[in-house]
Amino acid sequence: MNTAFILGFVILALGVLSVAFVRPKTYVARLINLEIPAWGLLLIMLAYDEALALMTFVAVTAISTFVIVRLMEWRDASC
Amino acid sequence: MIQDYSLGLLVAFAAMGVAFFAMMRETDGLHRLLLTDLIEVVSLAFIALIGTDLAEALILPGLVVGTSELIALSEIYRIKEGYTRPPDAGLQIEVMESAPGILAALLVVYGIVLSGFSGGVVAGLGVLFYFLCRGHNERFELIETASGYSWALWIIAFFIFMILPQYWFFAVMLSGSAILVKVMAKMSLIGTMRGGPNA
Repeated sequence: MNTAFILGFVILALGVLSVAFVRPKTYVARLINLEIPAWGLLLIMLAYDEALALMTFVAVTAISTFVIVRLMEWRDASC
Repeated sequence: MIQDYSLGLLVAFAAMGVAFFAMMRETDGLHRLLLTDLIEVVSLAFIALIGTDLAEALILPGLVVGTSELIALSEIYRIKEGYTRPPDAGLQIEVMESAPGILAALLVVYGIVLSGFSGGVVAGLGVLFYFLCRGHNERFELIETASGYSWALWIIAFFIFMILPQYWFFAVMLSGSAILVKVMAKMSLIGTMRGGPNA
């Protein structure tokens, strides 16, 4: 059991709590907090040497953040 | 090793329970979309726990399907809520005018040097970034056609591997460049999501 593995699961658990019970309850706060469990997952992948999955996850996270921010932009423009 | 696995599984199950509990109590659509993203992260931790090549093989398609699902769901949500007025022009920053050309050129050249799937992703990121910052008025049927032809070339390369194995080097080059064009074309389409005349 190495450090990256333990740290990864601690950060994942804390991150899930911080996203599930976010304060203040705004979209942006929740989106920013989503980065914390993602960090935990990256450390878990690092502990198991899953390099390809790790890099793809980084790229996909960037794209999904972009998609959600775009949705918020449309929402602000229409409301 | 077994103990690692069961401990990790326990934490992941607890995290999954918390995530689904929050999902259950949430009523707002966009908040639920964000929680879907959270559940995806936690479920990927389950798969990552397997810790072999199988885990990587399972995570990659999972990520791709997750992204396309998120894009589709966000479009459905947008139409359902009636957000039809396009947002104003994005950030007007000087860096977004000058940097894209240089950065995109560097990424595309590096991607072509890498070739293959990862090369396609790097070059695609360059094109995506350029479209995002500069806007676009390309004819996307053309990009789609190139992507289709390159997919056919990729398949042909696999037939060469099976039928004429002595020409393996030609097949490697063919499949490497074809998958480069294919992945790049698909990824560049994401850069057009800000809306535009042809998107």
